[in-house]
Parts: sequence; structure tokens; C-alpha cells
Amino acid sequence: MEEHSQQDDFKRDLLIYFSIIALVGLIIFISHLQLKTLGIFLIIPIACTEAGILGFYFMHLMTKKRTVHLLLLLTVIVFITLLFWPAWDVAYSPRTPSEFTVY
Amino acid sequence: MSQETEFIPYIVKPREDTGLYNAKFGIWLFLASEVMLFGSLFSAYILLRVGSFTWPVQSDIQNVPIGAINSVVLLSSSIFFIRAWVALKADDIAKYKKFMYLVILFAFIFLSLKGVEYYQHFSHHEYPKTSVFLAIYFLMTGLHALHIIGGILVNSYYVGPGLYLRDQNKQWFINRVEVAGLYWHFVDLVWIFLFSTLYLL
Repeated sequence: MEEHSQQDDFKRDLLIYFSIIALVGLIIFISHLQLKTLGIFLIIPIACTEAGILGFYFMHLMTKKRTVHLLLLLTVIVFITLLFWPAWDVAYSPRTPSEFTVY
Repeated sequence: MSQETEFIPYIVKPREDTGLYNAKFGIWLFLASEVMLFGSLFSAYILLRVGSFTWPVQSDIQNVPIGAINSVVLLSSSIFFIRAWVALKADDIAKYKKFMYLVILFAFIFLSLKGVEYYQHFSHHEYPKTSVFLAIYFLMTGLHALHIIGGILVNSYYVGPGLYLRDQNKQWFINRVEVAGLYWHFVDLVWIFLFSTLYLL
């Protein structure tokens, strides 16, 4: 019974593995299309999907306890807050754009 | 049961309040801090890129095929780790060792390919000081490579000298390997974002 269940798990893991590889192929294809901004809006969500699939299945987030979910939620909230805090400053800064030229 | 397990609670069985045993709770706290560490670097990357007038076409500078192969290599090592853990739970030590050695081998392949990429950059006189993009590229991929090296050390310990821990307490050892696996999957997860942002955008 357990062996049967393990075989099912293995098949599921293989399916997930090939799905993620397919998504890697897809983002490479999209990047070759040179879509510029649209490309960014396509590649980032696909990358997030890949990471989400990996987290949910390989790291077993889908069956994890509420403690882990709360911990990760708190981390994401703090991270997004810190990410947009300086973005706000950059967007409304009176400095000239030339100060941001870095390349 | 060893003497240690009598004195340290919740190393095998989960706590009633969190539903997690100590090491698993610890690794998730650690991974949360890692999210913040890499998150801060991704934030820096976004702000530098958004704030600059010009930015190189990354796919022209980067070796995308090597990056793609590295993605497959790390994903493969992740799935080998799962197989190793399943084998360990099933008491199949030979299989556990086989898959753990594959995990370590693939980690070395990843590092070797990364080394080839770095070599190509250096041979084109592309160093961290050359541009902001290259500075953040070397910083982030270098930090990620350090994480891979850390993973190799831990995994090598659990398949080599640390295997004696299994004789002391089987379930405790299985839990330790599971926690190492969570770390390894996280390193894989970070690479997915690194490849997407530093190679393809």
C-alpha cells in the first residue's frame, strides 16, 4: 500500500519536475522575443509560478502547518513593505534623473 | 532512545502548539531570514535598474544556455534529494546514499558551470567594477554559490561521517535530512528567480 503510494508520489514529483523545466523553457522563449516591458510582465509571473510549484510540492507547503504559513506571510509583508519604501522615495524624490544613471 | 532525546523535547515529535518539531521550526525561521537577505538584493537590483537611464541587454552579456542547463541541474538535484529522503524513510540506506551522492555530484556540476561563466566574464574583462549590473550579478550569484557550497557540506556530512547519527535515533536522523532538504529546495527556488532576473530580463 505504502509502496503504491510512494510510486504515485514519485510520478507526481516527476510531473512537477518536467512542468517546471517546461516553464523554464517558456521564459527563455519569451525572452528571445525581445518584448521589453511586456516580457518583464510575462517572465516574472511565470518565474513566480515555478517557485510556487516548487515550494508547494517539493517543500510541502501545501500540507504545512499554519505556523509556517503565518511565518511566511509575515516575511512577505515585511519584504514587500521594505521593497516599496525606497521605491516611493525614488519616485517622489526632487533629485534629477541624471543622479540615477549608473551604466 | 538516546540520553539526549530524553532531555531535549520535540526533536522527533512535533510540538502541540506549532505542530512542528524543533528543527523544522528552526529551518523555516532561517529560510524566512534568507528570503529577507535575497529579497533585499533583489530590491537593490530593481531600484538600480529602474533608476538608471540605460541598462545592458542582459541576455547579450550572459550565457543563457549555461544558465538554463544550471536550472535543470539544480532541479534534478532537488528531485534526487526527495528520492534520497524517501529511501531513508523506507530504511533503504544503499538507495539513500546513491541519491545523496547524485545530489552532491549535481551541486558540483552547477558550481563548475558557474565557474565557466565567471571565467568567460573575466576573459572579456567583465568584473564587478565594470558596471552596476555586473556588480550586482556577481554579488547575487556569488552569494547563491556560497549557499550551494554550504549545502554540499551539510549533505556530505549526512551521507558520510554523520550517518552514525542514524544508529542513535532513526527518526531524528530522518528529520535532520528533511530539514537539509528544505534548505536545498530553497536554494533551488532562489536560482529560479536569479536566472529569470539576471539572465532573461
